[in-house]
This record gives sequence, structure tokens and C-alpha cells, in this order.
Amino acid sequence: MYNQFFGNYLYSNEYVTKEHLISAIIRQTKVSARIDTLSVYFGYMSASEVEHVKQLQNEEGKKFSELAISYGYLTQEQVLELLNTKAPDFLTLGQILIDDGVFSYEQFENILTDYRSQSELLDLEIDEENQNEIRQLIDSFSLVTEYAIPSFGKAYLELLFKNFVRYIGEDFTALPPSLCNEFATEHCVSQTINGNYVVNTYLNMSEETSIAFAERYSNESYDSYDEYVAAALEDFINLHNGLFIVNASNDFSNELSLGTLAPHDNNIITFEHPTYIFPVYYPFGIIHFIMEVVSL
Amino acid sequence: MTIDEGKVLICDDSILARKQIKDIIAIAGAPTIFEASDGEKAIEIYKEHKPDLVFLDIVMPKKDGNITINEIMAFDPDAKIIIVSSVGTHTQLKCALEAGAMDFIQKPINKVQIIDALNKYLGR
Repeated sequence: MYNQFFGNYLYSNEYVTKEHLISAIIRQTKVSARIDTLSVYFGYMSASEVEHVKQLQNEEGKKFSELAISYGYLTQEQVLELLNTKAPDFLTLGQILIDDGVFSYEQFENILTDYRSQSELLDLEIDEENQNEIRQLIDSFSLVTEYAIPSFGKAYLELLFKNFVRYIGEDFTALPPSLCNEFATEHCVSQTINGNYVVNTYLNMSEETSIAFAERYSNESYDSYDEYVAAALEDFINLHNGLFIVNASNDFSNELSLGTLAPHDNNIITFEHPTYIFPVYYPFGIIHFIMEVVSL
Repeated sequence: MTIDEGKVLICDDSILARKQIKDIIAIAGAPTIFEASDGEKAIEIYKEHKPDLVFLDIVMPKKDGNITINEIMAFDPDAKIIIVSSVGTHTQLKCALEAGAMDFIQKPINKVQIIDALNKYLGR
């Protein structure tokens, strides 16, 4: 997973100016990643090999793939594979900046390495065993639910459980979800994800569980349920949903937005759309994560 | 200007996020700190105290971060605003930078990025 949008990474590390970045973002959705950019991304060609082929292209006017094959930089199979591969959409941002002369292929190669290692480090915080357990858990959900979890749901839940591991702790057991029409809340907060699908997300737990949850989330201790405890629940759901939409933007140029947080303490919520409840058991209490799929 | 001589406005609807930013700032120095829990209040405080640096969230009640940047920039085109948000998509980044934000920090709040911003915009 990515902890920030590629454009933000470029800007905060001063690889691009504000003007270059804005101009590239505006054009990003209109272009697709070319074989030269993909070759660097997948490590099939080095930046200097790409520069060489580009130079030959200018001189000979032949296709990039044809020249790359004739010089032994790519095989026919690799070309076919690259043409059929779905690469993350953020690559096009890098490609536009190369075309604009903001950085070279070599600089792009180095930037990509740094950016990916930062993202991989984030995943490494969750060990392989936990990652496998999370995948198996989500696969098992799709077998037992009456309605299949929508396609975006798998990525959403994988990130959710990773965020539970990362910010609250790995000592939880998630039970299979159930469908529901109504739910009696205790301390509950919701946030809507809007875009080409609309989902209402809720986080609910008892007072005692909220306090323990907040202590783990903020590394502070609380004697009673107060505004900091309430804010911890809100921050967690907002942080998780935020990271989900950053990943959707980075990988698929899918622009989603978040609604403001809404409290629903000690209330009965009636759901009008398919709604899944995910019970997550921690030693300190039960957390209910609820997902109401409003539209797909 | 030193960090201690500076004035910093922290605007986030989460009291916990504001506390986390304040705690990090305290590591770097002791500027005068103002707090706002929504965009409307942030604009009011900005006009009254003209802080040297603003940490601003995007998703907030009343006035969101983007409207807030526009109103602050209209009042003071030299305002130094840094977005601290969980919604760093390409649309949000573009809007914030176009409106005049200097930087965009993706949540979870990172100590190094906050201190770097203080040194960059308030340090000598």
C-alpha cells in the first residue's frame, strides 16, 4: 500500500515545482503509460537503455518496441506482457514529467525505487503471517455472505485489517460478516465515501472498549470517556478511509472523496441498502465495523 | 524570525490531531499557538492574529480546507498554509496547491514533516 499519492511524494521531496505538478496532474487522466515507462517500472530496461532507444527512435523513426527487441533490451514476450499489463496510474504522472523535461529516465528510475521502497517498508511493518491471515480472512468472507462483497470491498477490507494491525494491534480476531437492516449503537461514528460508488462506513464500540481503543491508537492514557477518546475513533476511521482513497487515486486514478464525520452515539440506525457488519474481537472489547453499500 | 517568535495556527476538527501537532511543535520550540476546529473559526483567527504559519485540515465542518485557503489567501496573499490531511488524492493536492498552499502533509501526522515545515517557514 502507498502512504501518500505519488504526486505528493514528488512535491514534498522537491522533485517538482508546484507549477509543474499541477500542470501534469491536469493532463494525467488523458494519457496512458507507454512501453518505455513500463519497462523502467517493471525493471526490464535500465534508464540508460531507454535513453539509448529513444535516441535511436529520433534517428531512425522506428517503433520503441522494435528497436528495444533488436538491441536485445526486451524480448518479444516481454513486449507482449507489457502491452497487456495493468500498471498503477501514477506512472503516467512520471511519464508526463519526463516528457516535460522535469526529470530524466535515470532520475525517474531512482525516484521510483525510493517511492516503492517506502511503500514496501509500510507493508513490511505487517509480517508475512499477518498478511496471509488477512487475505485468508477476506477470502473466507466471500464464501459465507449472502451477498458477495463488492469488488472494491476486498481492497478496502485488506487495508482496514492492516490498519487495525498497524494502529491498534495484531491481537484481534475478525469474525465473518453478517448482513443487517438495523443496528443499536453505543459509541459510533460514520463517514461516507463518495465517488463512482458510495459507501457509508461506521465504527462502533462500547464506552470501555472506546477508552482502551483510544489508548492504543494515541499512545496516551485516559481515565474516562472524553473528547479525546471520541476523537480517536473519528481519527481512526478518517485515517483509514483517507488512505483507501489515496490508494484508489494512485492506482486507478479513481477520485473518491470523504464526507464529514458524523456521530451516532446510543442510537438505532436503520439501513436502506445492503449492509455488512464486521465484528472484530480484541482482548479489550468488541469493535463493530459497518459498511453500507449505497450505490455501486 | 525564530520558531519561538512565530505564531502558528492549527486548524483541525479533531482535538486529538490538534494535540498531536501541538506536541510535535513543542519539541521544536515554543511559538504562540492558536487553535481552530473549523474553517470559519480559522479565518476569523487568521484575520485577527495573522499567524506566520497555518496547519490546515481539508475535511472539516462549516468551511472545508479548500474554501478556507481561498478566503485566507484573499485576505493575505503571502499566507503560509500547509495542508495536513488524510485525503491526499491528486484532485485534493491540485486544488490545495492551486489555491496557494505551500505544502501537503499526508496523515498519519509525521513528526519529521511538521518539524521540517516549522524550520522551513519559521526558522531563520
